[in-house]
Amino acid sequence: MGKKFIKFEFLLLFAVFIIATCGLVYELVAGTLASYLLGDSVKQFSFIIGVYLFSMGIGSFFSKFFNKNLLNTFVEIEILVGLIGGLSSVVLFLLFESVASFQFILYLLVFVTGFLVGLEIPLLMNILKDKVEFKDLVSNVFTFDYIGALLASILFPLILVPKLGIMGTSLFFGMINISIAIVLCFILKSELKRSYFLKAKAIFSFLLLLTVFIFSESILSYSEGKLYGENIIYTNSTPYQRIVLTHNKSDYRLYLNNNLQFSSADEYRYHEALVHPVMSIAKKIDRVLVLGGGDGLAVREILKYKDVKAITLVDLDQGMTKLFKTNKVLTDFNQNSLNNSKVTVINTDAYIWAKSCKVKYDVVIIDFPDPSNYSLGKLYSLNFYQTIQNIIQPDAAVVVQTTSPYFAPKSFWCINKTVMAVFPQVDAYHAYVPSFGEWGFTIAINGFNTTFNTVNRKVSGLKFYNYQFDRFNYFTGDMISNEIEINRLDNQILVRYFDEEWGKLQ
Amino acid sequence: MIRLSGTKHLLGHRLWIKDFPEPVSQIQTSYLIVGGGISGLSAARQLTKRGISDFVLVEMEGHLGGNSSNGENQYSKYPLGAHYLPLPNFQDKELLNFLEEEKIILSYDTKGFPVFDELQLTFAPDERLFYKNSWQEGVVPKEGNSKAEEEELVAFFKLMDTFRAGKGQDGKYLFDIPLYLSSTDENSRSLDKITMKEWFVKNNFTSEPLFNYIDYCCKDDFGLGIEYVSAWAGIHYFAGRKQDVTSDKIESVLTWPEGNARLTSHLKRYSKDKALKNHLVYELKIENNKVIAKTFDDHKKTTVAIVADKVIMATPQFVNQYILKERKQYAKEFHYAPWLLATLVVSDLGDNFSFPLSWDNVIYGAKGLGYVYDQHQSLNQVQSKKVITYYYSFSGPDLKKTRKEIHKKKTDYWKQMVFDDLKMAHPDIESVTEEMNVFVLGHGMISPVPGFIFGEAKKQASKSIENRVYFAHTDLSGISIFEEAFHQGVNVVNQILDETTLDS
Repeated sequence: MGKKFIKFEFLLLFAVFIIATCGLVYELVAGTLASYLLGDSVKQFSFIIGVYLFSMGIGSFFSKFFNKNLLNTFVEIEILVGLIGGLSSVVLFLLFESVASFQFILYLLVFVTGFLVGLEIPLLMNILKDKVEFKDLVSNVFTFDYIGALLASILFPLILVPKLGIMGTSLFFGMINISIAIVLCFILKSELKRSYFLKAKAIFSFLLLLTVFIFSESILSYSEGKLYGENIIYTNSTPYQRIVLTHNKSDYRLYLNNNLQFSSADEYRYHEALVHPVMSIAKKIDRVLVLGGGDGLAVREILKYKDVKAITLVDLDQGMTKLFKTNKVLTDFNQNSLNNSKVTVINTDAYIWAKSCKVKYDVVIIDFPDPSNYSLGKLYSLNFYQTIQNIIQPDAAVVVQTTSPYFAPKSFWCINKTVMAVFPQVDAYHAYVPSFGEWGFTIAINGFNTTFNTVNRKVSGLKFYNYQFDRFNYFTGDMISNEIEINRLDNQILVRYFDEEWGKLQ
Repeated sequence: MIRLSGTKHLLGHRLWIKDFPEPVSQIQTSYLIVGGGISGLSAARQLTKRGISDFVLVEMEGHLGGNSSNGENQYSKYPLGAHYLPLPNFQDKELLNFLEEEKIILSYDTKGFPVFDELQLTFAPDERLFYKNSWQEGVVPKEGNSKAEEEELVAFFKLMDTFRAGKGQDGKYLFDIPLYLSSTDENSRSLDKITMKEWFVKNNFTSEPLFNYIDYCCKDDFGLGIEYVSAWAGIHYFAGRKQDVTSDKIESVLTWPEGNARLTSHLKRYSKDKALKNHLVYELKIENNKVIAKTFDDHKKTTVAIVADKVIMATPQFVNQYILKERKQYAKEFHYAPWLLATLVVSDLGDNFSFPLSWDNVIYGAKGLGYVYDQHQSLNQVQSKKVITYYYSFSGPDLKKTRKEIHKKKTDYWKQMVFDDLKMAHPDIESVTEEMNVFVLGHGMISPVPGFIFGEAKKQASKSIENRVYFAHTDLSGISIFEEAFHQGVNVVNQILDETTLDS
């Protein structure tokens, strides 16, 4: 009898140890996730520890209302803690984007876990109180409780998160938690009532966690999709950027390094505004040069003009142009423009390429990413536009994607002023693209034999641009900025403006 | 992969024992230029400009350029010495003309200011400093100073502004470039008698960031730190450049991936087919109104006698003392700081999301002078590998002793020294470095210790010998900068030709 009892006590104390370890792991998981998703780690950790300890207190308080079937209740709670704690990180990951009251759910989960763990210790002491000396009981239970806590807090940052990830860690400990319940069910089956029922419950819960654990990788990528708020249908990391294509109802969106490149619902506005003014204004359109624009959408618009003899597209990223030549969804968007026989795609650095280019173009369409760093800033410099001027015909027309005049008026007019220092005729215009906001362009003519209001040619069937340029070049006061400098390689003032203006918004 | 190289000190040191063969052939020329550094190349240019084409230039190294030379790896060119030219002073027409000839100045604007080629001015961002655990813009310590430190910095720069604008009673700038144009004003010249540190203390400066900043600047331009350099030279660093050549940008510099080797490549056009490389002049004598230069050809291992009417010694005085008689007493007053440059190919350079990689990257409190990003002037969006050149000057009280110790050290020693110094800002530098080229210059540059610039030795060493042998080198200016070398070359030719005119 004595021997058997020692085993019984030891088993339950081991359970305390595991409960303490798991409990703290859940708490750390919640804290880490909260600071990961919400930021401000000091605040998140502080609140979560507070709420967790408080709810343990509540749990302890309520333990006195359990009087019957204590051992059964203990095992039940063990299963429940494992299930809730184990799944907490998965639930939080999945709900982050779609639930407005994310914080409420976060603290609710912390509260419930804390409450259940809080119940367990007093419950256990009640089970053992008649069998062990009270002094020994208190001392043993708390010893194991605190050792468990130490173990968890050491393992968590050093081994668990690096090896298993946050989601894996919580699921793994959920399984350990439930394993204890299963072990208890088997060993103490004589002392338990309806132990088969408990056994079934425990095993089912264990299998559930195991399944989620196995699929946690794909859940994680699904939740990345949730971060975008849309379904990710394609991702690819090229040496230059991360390309993500998402799909939501009838809308496809392309993100480059998490910046929206286009939305299929309204990209026609952007690309019509980008392409058709220069195409109608230029004296000739035999040779058209596109810099950037690897999605082929601008080329699609250019190809509407049958007089165009050759289009050269220079884009740094082969991964990008290849994708838009081969992917069925994407070639539907650009109408297979990049595979058109008039189109030559060159994957190289546009600046370097332009420096050595010997051909003279009639139209140049410059569609680079916004000048968000010093590398990209070079592509908006005075010297760059001088380089462009060297490779165009007299009276050629040039258009430059010029970021948003509403969000970044200084940046917008800085580019405009820089272009103005090079070309004889320069103007600016803008268009509203719902997914971007108010967007702007700088346009230039390399001569005086045509004007911005001249329409040398037009195509029919456009949805947005109506060839009335003077409807697009009026800027309201909130899109104007004065006293700006020309962007040069040796000052890169544009990158500073851009950082100042867009930095404000983030 | 680590490689160690340097100037040809083994060949140079044969001047001590002169175990060279006797001449087997002879070359006749009107003018002989000894030394193919900037002074010599500039002299060749000036001779050409003044209509003289009968001259020969000899150089000990296998290439021209001296301190304005470069190396190259598969990713980039990189400097093996001087790597930039600050915008010249507006009054320095001679230099401005050269820059215009070489299309570094493209035109002059309506106000008469030169328009520099955007591609040859340092791209932004040009400088950053690793200070208080993060990178900040500029090399002057700014963020994180106490109020008192801030005030000292402001006061110091204000003082330098005064020195920059200041003129003596003779109407000349107190501090000018080239240096010989500076005023003879006694007050400012007396600054040459004390060290920069003594001046710092005398002016009641105490702040550590300011001290370290000045120390960095002195080492950067003179190879000697604040404790050893003349205060006149130290102040000249800040006050010599008038920053008056453009209307908008006051402190820009011209730079190229290969550093000032770009300027060498422009200048050496003038000595095309007239330059003998791997040739070491080991003895110079005046006989029968001719100068005979015994010159060792290091490739053929034979000696040729070059017979010239006049010779321009565009060589440093530590070399001249072995070639010409009775020059040791001057040479011992000339001190040269050794330098070490290390060019690294790195796969990545983290900047802990503070200020991004710049052209000049200085680490506060480091032993070296930081590093230059050699591909900074590239127009490319991305670089598969980054190439950086680390600079280190051996400042100290006894440069001769230091030099001896340097030549005993092995490659691994330098490798570790460079890594340890860069680790302050880049803890992972060792693991991201794929290649390192260490280049040691035993006599890196003339170092203006107190009393040197306006001292007797320099004055005497500059004097020509019997209107036959003339001298041109930055060590005769006292500070080792491109502008001085350029003018040394121009002036020595003008001196020779204008004297001749007077004579006849």
